[in-house]
Amino acid sequence: MKPRTQDRRSESTTRRWSPRVRALVSLLLAWHLLALLVGPWSVPRSVLADALRPIYRPYLEAAYLDHGYKFFGPDPGPSHLIRYDVLRADGSHVRGVFPDPKEHWPRLYYHRHFMLSEFVNSLPPDGPPDPRVPWERQPLSKAEKAYVRSYADRLLDEFDGKRVTLELVEHAIPAQDDVLKGMRLDDPRLYRTRSLGAYSKEPK
Amino acid sequence: MSLVVDYLRELFRAARDGWNRFWFTPSDPATLGLIRILAGAMLLYTHVVWSLGLEAFFGAHAWVSPAAAQQALAMQDGRSYAWSYWWLIESPAALWTVHIAALVVFAMLMLGLASRIVAVLAYLAAVSYVNRLPGALFGLDQINCMLAMYLMIGPSGGAYSLDRWLAARRAGTRLPPAAPSVSGNIATRLIQIHMCVIYFFAGLGKLHGESWWYGDALWGAVANLEYQSLDVTWLAAWPLTVAVLTQVTVYWELFFCVLVWPRILRPVILSLAVPLHLGIAFFMGMITFGLAMLIGCLSFVPPSLVRRVLGGATLEPGGAGQGGAAQEVLPAARREPHSSGRSPRLRRA
Repeated sequence: MKPRTQDRRSESTTRRWSPRVRALVSLLLAWHLLALLVGPWSVPRSVLADALRPIYRPYLEAAYLDHGYKFFGPDPGPSHLIRYDVLRADGSHVRGVFPDPKEHWPRLYYHRHFMLSEFVNSLPPDGPPDPRVPWERQPLSKAEKAYVRSYADRLLDEFDGKRVTLELVEHAIPAQDDVLKGMRLDDPRLYRTRSLGAYSKEPK
Repeated sequence: MSLVVDYLRELFRAARDGWNRFWFTPSDPATLGLIRILAGAMLLYTHVVWSLGLEAFFGAHAWVSPAAAQQALAMQDGRSYAWSYWWLIESPAALWTVHIAALVVFAMLMLGLASRIVAVLAYLAAVSYVNRLPGALFGLDQINCMLAMYLMIGPSGGAYSLDRWLAARRAGTRLPPAAPSVSGNIATRLIQIHMCVIYFFAGLGKLHGESWWYGDALWGAVANLEYQSLDVTWLAAWPLTVAVLTQVTVYWELFFCVLVWPRILRPVILSLAVPLHLGIAFFMGMITFGLAMLIGCLSFVPPSLVRRVLGGATLEPGGAGQGGAAQEVLPAARREPHSSGRSPRLRRA
């Protein structure tokens, strides 16, 4: 004989849903399925996404569904690291870079730090970048400033520093032909650096 | 004219019946139970790793300060609907207490203990973590939250769970497999559809890029030193191989949403997911992301196959079959006219 609780449970789960319940759930499903498309339609911007975003944005953001899913698209690009130099009160320096595979382990922890440095590069500029100013000397946008300041505060706190200097390092991918000719993936010619500024501890 | 009207009527009926059959046919929760174990384990591992830098990422002097995070979230127009309980927590003691509680929730989800409750808590916790940290996230977090969201919907503890084991112990007898359920079917279907959306837009996004079209994008991925975990730069001498692998990736992603549904093609399409995601996992160091995508792909594995592989319970009638052909395994007496495949009219046609 089956236990009573099991019988009750089986009944409730196998019972077919009434047409009214199905209609209601169908409406919810339709809402959700369209929501799944709004995120990808928004990256890059599209007319459809512009029309639907005002309606869907609260749902997408609250449910963490606002994604473009453009993994390694449109093209795999260079990676970005952040190099730091912390000056401590005793005059010593702590120099480092993140992500650092020697320091950040396991790989997922490394990846978290990697995303921090990549994110700074992905933040939008305040306006169209001035083509006369090379990447190395582009001023920080408002969004970049907020993040870089935050990273600087973290490093100052971690190393009990007085002042920290930060640089964004871009590491380009070598061409297949160059690698065949002997170029290493860490060849110095593949790197370029953009200053992110120097920061002191803010008075509390 | 009547021909057109007849056609449209037929079309409407077929769409309605197909919709009902696809979403509302009860299914065996075996596949969902397996996804719960693996997604729960991935959530647990992902969040255990946060423990290594809990205060560095969530504390008062976090990498991403609350002000920077709020600014990033509200970049569009100064408003944000992204919520997180981490905004309310400042002291290290509270930080660790809440974090450990979340780890317990993820462990319970993995084990299937109080599954219906912890599935909801796990989703709320997972979203709280990611919304606190714009800037430290990547595809893994998207898949983790997606799986957690759909595990809330169905009876994920209906198979391979401590809930079942405890119920059997209380009853003092071996329980029959859990009954098929509509909500379990909806949860599995939503994971399937979401995976299709992800792959389709991942493929479509690549068409914007020159390297995916030209055929050397894969080189760009494997020759990136910061991603690289296994050196496969010998591929530089094999440009044709790189081009073929690049193109196969794009076409597979683009057409996954179509080709995964016919049962005859599904094993081929799903088996192609394995080298693709394990390649990402082991050559590009994103083991967690690669595995999370494979967990999502498991939603296409029929419950009957899951039961055959994992054993422990007999096959039961019902189940969506995850291929839209539930009527083949449901006993005729349990079928509903409106959800049992083609309408009599269509069958006649």
